[in-house]
Amino acid sequence: MNLKEIERWHPISQVALNWAITAGSVLICLLMLPTRLPGMELAGVSPNWLLIWVVAWSVKRSPFQGAIAGLVLGLIQDGLTSPHPTHALSLALVGFFTARLRKQRYIQEDFISVALIVFAMAVVAETVIALQFTLQDKRSLAEIWTYHQFIALSSAILSSLWAPILYFPLKRWWEWVSSLEQA
Amino acid sequence: MYTLRRWWDRHRFQIILVSLTLGTALFLRQTQGALVLEIYQLLTRPFQGNPTQQSRLEDARILELQQRLVEMESQNDELKKVLGYTTENKVPQEIISPVIGRSSDHWWQQITLGRGSRDGISMGDIVMAPGGVVGRIVGVTASTSRVLLLSDPSNQVGVSISRSRSMGYMRGQSGNRAVMEFFDKVPDVKRGDAVATSAFSQLYPAGLPIGRVESINLSKSPAPEAVIELSAPISYLEWAVVRSGKTSSQPTSDSQPSDSAPSNSVPSSSEPSQEATP
Repeated sequence: MNLKEIERWHPISQVALNWAITAGSVLICLLMLPTRLPGMELAGVSPNWLLIWVVAWSVKRSPFQGAIAGLVLGLIQDGLTSPHPTHALSLALVGFFTARLRKQRYIQEDFISVALIVFAMAVVAETVIALQFTLQDKRSLAEIWTYHQFIALSSAILSSLWAPILYFPLKRWWEWVSSLEQA
Repeated sequence: MYTLRRWWDRHRFQIILVSLTLGTALFLRQTQGALVLEIYQLLTRPFQGNPTQQSRLEDARILELQQRLVEMESQNDELKKVLGYTTENKVPQEIISPVIGRSSDHWWQQITLGRGSRDGISMGDIVMAPGGVVGRIVGVTASTSRVLLLSDPSNQVGVSISRSRSMGYMRGQSGNRAVMEFFDKVPDVKRGDAVATSAFSQLYPAGLPIGRVESINLSKSPAPEAVIELSAPISYLEWAVVRSGKTSSQPTSDSQPSDSAPSNSVPSSSEPSQEATP
């Protein structure tokens, strides 16, 4: 589609299109979660697409916006798996911390820094879930934390490697939208 | 009042948007993500193969039959001792369904099936695959259903050793392993023994094949443990059979007189088979 054409649209339809694309990208992430495509899997673990999305969203936004996005996606993931322990807390923290990093102030480079942020945040998210399991007292401590090591590492590696495929299109789109708003 | 009004005018759009998104998320959470799962089922429909028997699953099928045989023989011997035993086993309806997705999160061992309430699946139904029990249904939408696998740590099942009727309960570990804890201090068990669901299980009907004993640790405290290898190929399931309908009428648990039952089949204390629902 021609971007020039969209520039002539009514502002409200532009905003609607922006939200449709944002919501659409979330839907794609949700649909990617239960699939295990060849090459996207490491010992049964697949990339955490919702985490990548939350990082991509929060990198250039305020901590509050990041936390809200994490909360929303976490609630949806709760529905898809099991609400106890909740994913909303871990993803909201991820959104908050990512926004607090204020990456663009320190690092101009994009490709590796986002992968690194996703790596760290995947570890944070899995640790928060493991802590909730620990408080819940349903599984044994040793089991939770050995499993945590395995999941945190493989999910962090896979998510950080697959992060750019989601991050770059979204970043380009949101940059273009904000340039349109300023014009 | 004026400042409030101005604040509202400035932030109106954001507040409405945020509450809308939060509302949608809460809706999706309350409906167990039914909308997403339905779309997923719709999109993956072209890729769902018809349930066909494949050669690599045939081995597992043979293993299942062997285990069932051991189970049947052992049960038969026991039944001969019990007089006046009558069975009224209902034949459950079996729904063959393709596996369309794995779990959406690494902490839960779940799979998504491509058949739902429209095909007669309901909550708590037992899911079988070539090789034995796989898990049970914990969520149903119109045309998908979610299975909590036996390998999930929160899934606890009352099981027994088919050969010696030693009882215990089993707790999943990731992969296709599970840990069985015995009720007896000195259970009669050896490597390679077949394991099946026991009559003490409230969620699963008795006598369904689960797996075989891989290793035993008798010195484990508080109770002896055995590692069980699940016989169903859980990590590469392509289709599963859902046993629908109330199969809860367990003739063995009701009509088995406790005084004439062999002593080793009754757990010594009042430990029930703990079965947690997540």
